[in-house]
Amino acid sequence: MDSNLDRREFLKLAGLLSLGYAIHSKGIAPAAVPQARRENILVVVYDALSAHNVSLHGYRRDTTPNLARLAERAIVYHNHYAGGNFTTPGTASLLTGALPWTHRAFVHDGKVSDSFVSRSIFHVFPDHYRIAYSHNPLVNTLLGQFKEDLDEYIPQERLFLASDGILRALFKNDEDIATVSWARTIKRQEEGYSYSLLLSHLYERFRERRIAGLKPDYPRGIPHISTDNYFLLEQATDWISSRLRELPQPFLGYFHFLPPHFPYKTHRDFYGKFQGDGWQPPDKPVDFAFNQGKSQERLLEWRTWYDEFILYADREFGRLFDHLAASGLLEDTWVVFTSDHGEMFERGISGHLTHALYQPVIRIPLMIFEPGRDERVDVHTPTSAIDVLPTLLQLVGEAIPDWVEGEVLPPFGRRSPDPERKLYAQVARDNDPTAPLTHASLMVLEGSYKLTRYFGYGRLGEARERIELYDLEADPEELNELSTIEKNKTEELLIELDDKLAEVNAPYL
Amino acid sequence: MKRFAAFTDFFLKRYSRQGLWSLFLTVAFVPHTWTLVLAFRDLSWVTERSNAWDAVGLTAYGLIFAFLESLVIFAVAALLGLFVSSKWEENRRIAALSFLALNAFLWAALGQLAFLLDFSLPEELARILIQSGHPVRFLYAGSLALVLSTVLAPTWLILRSDRMLRFVRAFTGRLSLMSSFYLLFDLAALVIVVVRNVT
Repeated sequence: MDSNLDRREFLKLAGLLSLGYAIHSKGIAPAAVPQARRENILVVVYDALSAHNVSLHGYRRDTTPNLARLAERAIVYHNHYAGGNFTTPGTASLLTGALPWTHRAFVHDGKVSDSFVSRSIFHVFPDHYRIAYSHNPLVNTLLGQFKEDLDEYIPQERLFLASDGILRALFKNDEDIATVSWARTIKRQEEGYSYSLLLSHLYERFRERRIAGLKPDYPRGIPHISTDNYFLLEQATDWISSRLRELPQPFLGYFHFLPPHFPYKTHRDFYGKFQGDGWQPPDKPVDFAFNQGKSQERLLEWRTWYDEFILYADREFGRLFDHLAASGLLEDTWVVFTSDHGEMFERGISGHLTHALYQPVIRIPLMIFEPGRDERVDVHTPTSAIDVLPTLLQLVGEAIPDWVEGEVLPPFGRRSPDPERKLYAQVARDNDPTAPLTHASLMVLEGSYKLTRYFGYGRLGEARERIELYDLEADPEELNELSTIEKNKTEELLIELDDKLAEVNAPYL
Repeated sequence: MKRFAAFTDFFLKRYSRQGLWSLFLTVAFVPHTWTLVLAFRDLSWVTERSNAWDAVGLTAYGLIFAFLESLVIFAVAALLGLFVSSKWEENRRIAALSFLALNAFLWAALGQLAFLLDFSLPEELARILIQSGHPVRFLYAGSLALVLSTVLAPTWLILRSDRMLRFVRAFTGRLSLMSSFYLLFDLAALVIVVVRNVT
């Protein structure tokens, strides 16, 4: 800091100091702001973890023994919803407390609108040491936007076994296209062909040799993203556990790990755990518009692989939690465990690259660990990813900005959950974010009723629209479509959704 | 340092500048053509997901890599050429090396084309291979025989027959002309990459 102030600067500073003193002594401060508490916040996200495949939430396979163990001291949200069905909208909603149609990050690798760059979880905790990491490049696109509000942004390569980090360093200003071009040029395995005819073979050999020693531990291959950015979740767990102990406090940590996202490469400890267990999920009709032509056998196989990958993520979260407990950090750290979206293996659809908004792709787990809590609380009220940000603000005594669309989660809210509250989720991968929503899937949930409106898709036939209504309490698997039976409810929710759509489209007309 | 100077002397005694340039241009032909074909194939999806400038950027990076790959393969070919007896004049050695490099690239391109066109072995042949009890072994042996036949016979002909030499030189001369244009594209690609990274 420059200590050589000139006279004019000194007078300005003196004036501000006296004004500051006057405000303080007159007590002119926002009355609604509770006293800030200096507790740490740790948000841990496991990508593409569907609540439908989590045994803690009733799944028949025991996929989450560690979560079940830890849940005994947590608040467990059983009906928690992502903002969208893939990483970009799901994560952006979690990080901004706003719905995709508001923050506008809803296309593949999309970004939040300019006004939301300074409306993230990192911006509203300025007194915390803010650190973030993600394996997932789509999340890194968002974190890149919020970089100004981060004290430490860990590049994704930091926790990759072998990566293209040098490329990012060389072409900092053109990272996206340089990386895509590199992949197209040299990574033959990605699409089956590459621009390079001979060096791509040598490159593959080189990469294979670097990870050859790890192969026996991962019978289905080593976890990776974008073909050959290999990583080990246990390495990430260990690194983060040790890094957290070194951080200045209070800290806000956001760690977003890829498992159990595709490709489902579990550790050998869990390999084959559910294969041949004889369990069959309920039969569901193939979605005529959005099915990807996946056979039932393939879907069952991938579901099994996914479930076995969840076991790996579950073990690693258990280890992370135990590390935190052993280090004493849990005594003054709020820990949030959640996901950004779900995954599905039914109706001819696998994964989450779909326009469909069935429960498995949008219902995600949420657990909050309160410092000192040793009792379990189960919350069945529907909640949304956009509620996490305001809840954390309230928990540490910070004011909630007016742009936040979420509400404080029960049991922390000052009022009881509103049974009339409507929750929304959205997919609009093909819709220009700067234009009104004309190709989208929108969901509104009120009480036990869930209405989904699909519109603008050519594959829906001439009408280009499909409406679905389900009563989730009576039919959690969404097997009985009710829009033609419960016409009043359908009409009521459609009007609600149309009003909302008109409201969010208005600025883009 | 002395060793390096001695090696350079030895190298330059074996090759003329013109011979090396001709070899490089021939080597550069296939990787550039292949890159351009695939980059044009990618143009639409990049433009659709991003914009036309990014699609141009993708092609530019690809071309620069094609140039680097050409350089590497050229260096390998030139070094391998040092093992060819000097009893054959330079023209023959360059023609043989050019042919070998082209051959390697073409087989690699065929391998990728087989994937792109979803080629699979005829059912009858696959059945015979399976019945043999060692399908992979026979498949490798067959492939090796096929590749070797396209390498050994033409190389022998280039080294022995003036007619074949004339044909290969005329052919590589035409490829070299095309490659000269590719080098201009490379220069433009370099400018594009610089502009993208500076702005």
